[in-house]
Amino acid sequence: MNNKTAEIDRQKRSIGLKASARISNTIIYILLVIISFIWLLPFIFIVLQSFRCEVTGPVGYVTPKVWGLDNYKRLLECNFKTWYLNTFIIALCVAVLQTIIVLCMSYTLSRFRFKMRGGLMRFMLILGMFPGMLTMIILYRVLKDLGLTQANAVPGLILVYVASSGMGYYVSKGFFDTIPKSLDEAARVDGATRAQVLTKIILPLAKPIVIYTILTAFMAPWGDFVFARYIAFGTSSGYNVAVGMFDWLSKDQIGSWYTTFCAGGVIVALPVTILFMCLQKYYVEGVTGGAVKG
Amino acid sequence: MASVKLTKVQKIYDNNVVAVHDFDLDIKDKEFVVFVGPSGCGKSTTLRMIAGLEEISGGTVEIDGEVVNDLQPKDRGIAMVFQNYALYPHMTVYDNIAFSLRLQKVPEDVIYEKVTHAADILGITQYLMRKPRALSGGQRQRVAIGRAMVRDSKVFLMDEPLSNLDAKLRNQMRAEIILLIVIMKDGYIMQVGTPEECFDMPANLFVAEFIGAPKMNIMKTQLLKENGKYFVTPFGAKIEVTGEKGRILAEKNTPAGEIILGVRPEHMVLADANDPSAIPATLEVNEMMGSELHLHVFTEDGTRLIVRVPTIGLSSEERESLVNGKKMAVSFEGKVMHFFNPETEENMLL
Repeated sequence: MNNKTAEIDRQKRSIGLKASARISNTIIYILLVIISFIWLLPFIFIVLQSFRCEVTGPVGYVTPKVWGLDNYKRLLECNFKTWYLNTFIIALCVAVLQTIIVLCMSYTLSRFRFKMRGGLMRFMLILGMFPGMLTMIILYRVLKDLGLTQANAVPGLILVYVASSGMGYYVSKGFFDTIPKSLDEAARVDGATRAQVLTKIILPLAKPIVIYTILTAFMAPWGDFVFARYIAFGTSSGYNVAVGMFDWLSKDQIGSWYTTFCAGGVIVALPVTILFMCLQKYYVEGVTGGAVKG
Repeated sequence: MASVKLTKVQKIYDNNVVAVHDFDLDIKDKEFVVFVGPSGCGKSTTLRMIAGLEEISGGTVEIDGEVVNDLQPKDRGIAMVFQNYALYPHMTVYDNIAFSLRLQKVPEDVIYEKVTHAADILGITQYLMRKPRALSGGQRQRVAIGRAMVRDSKVFLMDEPLSNLDAKLRNQMRAEIILLIVIMKDGYIMQVGTPEECFDMPANLFVAEFIGAPKMNIMKTQLLKENGKYFVTPFGAKIEVTGEKGRILAEKNTPAGEIILGVRPEHMVLADANDPSAIPATLEVNEMMGSELHLHVFTEDGTRLIVRVPTIGLSSEERESLVNGKKMAVSFEGKVMHFFNPETEENMLL
């Protein structure tokens, strides 16, 4: 008898638990839906605007009256192609170079012990505290002397973005530190060189961090505006998308370019969105993996 | 297999801590050498210097007559089993074992043969496609051994290879494989010898206490010399030094004086209180170990001694009489003593 009542008690309690979990989950989901709706609103708005064909300027309503692809066609006819290509080349080069530099740097700082290692790390930490904007003037002068501004802004920008990338070693170094050193040693005894240790042992184990590094390296130049505008300095052939499209919003152009701007925004967002959707799983793992363990 | 020779090998860390002092050791082909010592005595450091994972601060390491100080681990022809196995977690057991062969660009069919052969010997064939995390500790260890096996290396290094076997298997392994032991303390070699040598003739007090369980009994006492015969006088008893030990003392013409006397617990016996060789003592703890009793006793001045008594020699009445606090007498024979210099703690017979 006693057993039975205890069993019933337990069931009641578990039902209570389930019910309360369901209620709190419901509240959380409703909240999340509201937040994501608010967050998505501008994107929906831009997408809708990009299909609007009746007027090219900003209007006071959301849904287009005449739907069409006119704005996208117009993108193909103007300088947008050049800008897009510029941005893509810059982002791709930076993603590759910066990833290589960051991972090598992290591996070195995580695995090698050399004189002034601590000093170097502290120095980079302090250097990283200065806003990058401070260097803008001198960078411009240097790049101008090298002939890497205006029409040659693409290699100039790649140089700027890649140059300081070694300083972004924190997250990946922290992750590498969590990989036991004896794995390196075992591999070295097994006949691997230091480089092979990195490529065959460390990187496969640090996959989330590698993907995180690639993503951030790609994203930063993809959306950069300040440096890009400064270094291209009014020469349309050296613009990236953000700089080029910004001009469409100026007072005298907005009336004829606003919807095209929206179409451009959609096109710009597309590759990043796809990239994120493919790598999202690793990205989340990477951020938490490095942060928690590092 | 090959010979390994260490000459005055030193390890000094950046903070000037000396981990290994002038380490001299000559290991011949096919010799099986074991380093023992308390933790932090430099065993692993020495091993890692041989492997090339740790820089050698001084001296030379030779493998097959070739100085390997400046060679990378991969060029030294060594295989090593790590204490924590260090299996590559992202690879299957097969890939773990095949890793070194793949780096050497060995053809896949040869790799397959070698890996399956090693797996067969180690009994891990059915786990070849698993990742290390799906294996038990013992299985992981076998994979680590397999990884070292397939390399056909000249020198085989193992860091704490027995630490994860259960106690019974460990003792059996020890008995079967150990040929030469190197006893280390604070980076110094204390003694190199066969287990028997180290047990029967420990070079110093440290080795005497380190080898053998329970620990050797240590007594501060006087060595007397009467009519060419030697006597020790622990705790009022008077025991003649006989046998080989007595002969060596006489040959060396050892002067009488203060000594440190060591007697192993298994050489201690229960004695008649009236015997002149009896040491009066009080039983503190009677530890039943199955085939033997470990009697922890203390003498009048509080020195603790351990007496190992085989259970088989005692009647049940005798056994039951051994209650804590019992007054009793212990003794030992004249031929089982060890003598250490009280200052240097070196064995006086060596």
